Amino acid sequence: MINFDSSAPVKLKGVGDGFWITIDPSCPENILKSEIDKLFKNLKHLAINSSVVIDVKGAKGRDDLIDNIKSYLIKTFEVAKVSKPAEKRSIPTERIRQRDLSKGWNQHRSDVLMLRGRVRSGQKIEAGKHIVITGDVNPGSEISAGGDVIVLGRLAGKVHAGCPNDETAIIFALEFKPTQVRIGGIVAAGIDEEISAKPEYACVEDDGIIVKDYMKANPFRKMPWPEAI
Amino acid sequence: MEGKVIVITSGKGGVGKTTATSSIGAALALEGKRVAIVDMDIGLRNLDVVMGLENRIVFNIVDVVQGKCKISQAAIRDRRIENLFLIPASQSDNKDVLTTSGVERVAKQLRKEFDYVIMDSPAGIEKGFENSIVGANEALVICTPDVSAVRDADRVIGLLYSRSLTPKLIVNRIEPARVERGEMLSHEDVLDVLSIDLAGLVPMDEHVLISSNTGTPLVLQNDSKAGQAFKRIARRLNGEADLPIEAPNHKTSMWNKISKTFGFKK
Repeated sequence: MINFDSSAPVKLKGVGDGFWITIDPSCPENILKSEIDKLFKNLKHLAINSSVVIDVKGAKGRDDLIDNIKSYLIKTFEVAKVSKPAEKRSIPTERIRQRDLSKGWNQHRSDVLMLRGRVRSGQKIEAGKHIVITGDVNPGSEISAGGDVIVLGRLAGKVHAGCPNDETAIIFALEFKPTQVRIGGIVAAGIDEEISAKPEYACVEDDGIIVKDYMKANPFRKMPWPEAI
Repeated sequence: MEGKVIVITSGKGGVGKTTATSSIGAALALEGKRVAIVDMDIGLRNLDVVMGLENRIVFNIVDVVQGKCKISQAAIRDRRIENLFLIPASQSDNKDVLTTSGVERVAKQLRKEFDYVIMDSPAGIEKGFENSIVGANEALVICTPDVSAVRDADRVIGLLYSRSLTPKLIVNRIEPARVERGEMLSHEDVLDVLSIDLAGLVPMDEHVLISSNTGTPLVLQNDSKAGQAFKRIARRLNGEADLPIEAPNHKTSMWNKISKTFGFKK
C-alpha cells in the first residue's frame, strides 16, 4: 500500500513516462539524498532514461537543493531529464478560465453565506467567509464575516469584515450607515451625519478605514475576469 | 369556538403597554365580545389601578397558575363595561413564581371561556416576557417614535418571530406637530426599520394620564383621540381588517400658516 498522506520526507509516484518526487524542503539534504537513493534503487533499470520532476511543495528559493538533487540523480541513476513542476499558479488560473468560459460553475460550491430578509436588533450573524444580505440590517445587530460583507439594503448595525485579520476585506451597502465598522483589526465608529443614500463601501487604506462611493471607485472593476468565490 | 390570546409587548418600558392593553380590551368588550385582560407584570402590577379595580382584588394570576383558585374567582368584572374581566398580577411575588408550562395551561383554559384574552407583558425580554408570550396566538408590539423604543421593539419582533408569532405594530404617542418640525420620527420612519404590518397609529393625548389616574376607560371618552385610535385598533383585530389606518395629522391654524409663510416668529 502506498500512503499518499504519509509524512515521509520523500515521496515517489509514477506520472506518465516518468516519476514525480515530492520532497520535504525542510529536511537536510543528506537525508533527502539517502531517501531518494533507497527509492530509486528499488526502481532499478526503470530509472534509466526516465524524466523526473522534483516538487518542493511550492517552497521558494530552493533551486540550489533541486540542482544538487538533479545532478545526483543524473550521475547515480542515469535519468534523462530532471525538471521542476510547472508554475503552480498557471494551472488553476487556466482551469478557472476554462470553467468560466464553458459556464461550468454549476458544480461550484460556494463559501458565501447569502441571506434574504431583515436582520433585527439583537441578532448576530457570523460566517467564516463572505456574507451577502439582500435586505436591511437594523441598528443593534451584529455581522461578523471572515471575508467581505455585502448588504443590498440599508446597513445600520455593527459590522466586522475580514474577521480576524484580513484587511483586504470590504464592507459594501446600498445605504451605508453602520454604527461601527471593523475590517481585520481596525475599528472605526460610524458617522452620524445624514448623507444621501448611495452605494458605498469601506476598505482599509494606510491603516485606516475609509468609505468610498462605489460607483466612482468600484474595487472590482479592475478584475479582468469574473471569478467564482 | 376557541378565543384568541393576544400578547401586548414592547421591550422598552413606559411606551404604553398597559394603556394599550386596557383600552383595546375595553374596546373589544364594547364590541360585544367576552374579554379577559391578564396582567403578566408580576411584582409590579398596575393594570388594576389603570382600570380602577384595585380595591376588588382577592385572587390573582399566580393563584390561578398555581391552582389555588379557579379562573372565575380571580377574574374581576369591570364596573362600567359588561363582558370585560381583569385577572390581576400578584404584587408580592416575582416573575420566577410562574412556569411557562403553567401559563400555557391557563392560557388554554382562558381561550375556552373568553373570546379575547389580552396579556399585558412586562418590560424586558426575560422570564416575565417568556411567560407572557408562551400561550399567545397573536402579538402586538407597541412602540413610541423614538430611537431607543424602536431598537427594543426590533429586538422583541425578532424574538417573537423566532417563536413563530408574527406581530403587528402599534405606534403610540405620535405628536404630529413635532413630526412636522422634524423633532420626532414619523410613523413611516418607524415602519421603515421594523417592517411589519401596522395595527394602528395612536396620537399623543393628555386624556391618557387623566384616565389612568382616575381609573376610567379611555375608550369611553369620545373626545379622546387616543381612545378613538384604540377603538379602531380593536375593530381591526375583531375582523374589520380593512378599516383604514389614519395618520394623526396636525391641524395648523390659519394664523400659524400665515406666520410660517411670512417667516414671523411666534
